[in-house]
Amino acid sequence: MTIDTDVKRERPEPIKAVPVRHPGRWVAAVAVLVLVAMFVHFLLTSNALEWSEQGKYITSTAVLKGVRNTILLTVAAMVGGMLLGTVLALMRLSANPLLSGASWFYLWFFRGTPLYTQLLIWGAIGSLLPTVGLGIPFGPEFHTWKTQALVTPMLAAGLGLILNEAAYMAEIIRAGILSVDEGQQEAASALGMSRTQTMSRIVLPQAMRVIVPPTGNEVLSMMKNTSLVAAIPFSELTFTAQTIYANTYKIIPMLVMACLWYLLLSSILMVGQYYLERHFSRGVGKASPARGQRLRLRGGGGGQ
Amino acid sequence: MTGDEDTVGVPLAKVSTPESGELMVKAEGVHKSFGRLEVLKGIDLEVRQGEVMCVVGPSGSGKSTFLRCINHLEKINAGRLWVNGHLVGYRERGGRLHELREREVAAQRREIGMVFQRFNLFPHKTVLENVMGAPLWVKKQPKDQVRQRALALLDRVGLSEKAQTYPAQLSGGQQQRVAIARALAMEPALMLFDEPTSALDPELVGEVLEVMKQLALVGMNIMVVTHAMGFTREVGDSLVFMDDGVVVERGAPREVLSNPQHARTQDFLSRVI
Repeated sequence: MTIDTDVKRERPEPIKAVPVRHPGRWVAAVAVLVLVAMFVHFLLTSNALEWSEQGKYITSTAVLKGVRNTILLTVAAMVGGMLLGTVLALMRLSANPLLSGASWFYLWFFRGTPLYTQLLIWGAIGSLLPTVGLGIPFGPEFHTWKTQALVTPMLAAGLGLILNEAAYMAEIIRAGILSVDEGQQEAASALGMSRTQTMSRIVLPQAMRVIVPPTGNEVLSMMKNTSLVAAIPFSELTFTAQTIYANTYKIIPMLVMACLWYLLLSSILMVGQYYLERHFSRGVGKASPARGQRLRLRGGGGGQ
Repeated sequence: MTGDEDTVGVPLAKVSTPESGELMVKAEGVHKSFGRLEVLKGIDLEVRQGEVMCVVGPSGSGKSTFLRCINHLEKINAGRLWVNGHLVGYRERGGRLHELREREVAAQRREIGMVFQRFNLFPHKTVLENVMGAPLWVKKQPKDQVRQRALALLDRVGLSEKAQTYPAQLSGGQQQRVAIARALAMEPALMLFDEPTSALDPELVGEVLEVMKQLALVGMNIMVVTHAMGFTREVGDSLVFMDDGVVVERGAPREVLSNPQHARTQDFLSRVI
């Protein structure tokens, strides 16, 4: 049986067909266009927004200080939360039941109570623990401080956010560690690496690919959740806006102004997240290490 | 390999027992259970210096588990196991066994290279970084020297032009050759291969076996769990047939393969060849 491959056949004409029409899409597009036009019209003509009033305050010293505090709190809470979260995740994965049990209890408490309530408690920490001392447990104390003087509003806000965030980061990091194939640890052990080296050089860098996307969402959430430290009270962006409109009664302009600041900050974070994800996904997939993945906006907010 | 050569870089003082002096590996009544399942039911085995030993047997016979016990990836429940004169995982003092610290176990593993069925290359590191990693981090050797040796090893397995690529961009056969280079970078006295070609497409098996054959030719101690009977016949010094957690038969590969003595060996070989 042979197949004659020498037969010259003419290339058929390229297809020129009438495309399928999508009337539904057109209707939807027009509807969206109308809504966008209405929104722009509202932004330009509404008196309630008072753009000039916003312009007066948006770069004022008080607001900039609020923005600075929001950024500081976000960074401190995320860095602290990640460090403590890593410790909690490793404890949770430990073979020692006391360590994993303690970690479980921590997560149960901090994920089981609202952040706002936790922050209110931090604001009243002086009533819960009037003094803190350095000494031997159940024994003599060498030095004692008054809590009210030691824990400033900034420290209370930072601690409140860190302790809460650590509980969420612990679960994200644990999932990341568990996502790394067991063979990786075996290979590292077989090469004579210590457990610490295996964790820091082999497991955690690979876990980062799973850890970074949800952590990006956590950073965005955290940036917005810093507004809750008004419970302490501590003056960040939202609290500053409130302080201003308490005097001027320009409530909506100040809140919209705060929104504009939050949007600017979150946009910067989203770009940063894109580059981080690209960095930690190197070596994955058959294509070149820098995958041709396009910048996509991730749904922020989510799960507290 | 002479006795003088393999004392170089050996991290622990040798405990020379009269019976294990000349041997690379010695197993005495090795038992291993996972929960109630007894996988190894008393293995007695000796591997001489420079020997290439092929371990064959049906799946579930305990051959991979035995290999993993040799570098202490699995803890044995009873018996004794020596590699290069060291008791694996324990120290015997005053008639009692003391578990070695994690650091000491790691030091013992440095003289044993292992190649896995599923390669287990580090996917976030380039091929060169995979080979350089352990000497750099574990032995803390100077980077230039490690780099040169890594490139030489990659050349030896025929992959020097792939040094800067990531494992995922390589074929299975290429990945396994990198894994061999990675294990050799620690300059082990013994190489363990756990079914090194079982996860490969048939046309890629040959290139990996060829690298292993070259290793055998320069006198490397090799223990390999394999189904590649051609390799066993051609390269192996001895063949061990395991079934149901015990060594059933041992001998020169040609003899065992052409004239198996035990019924279980005959049965197994009739099904694989």
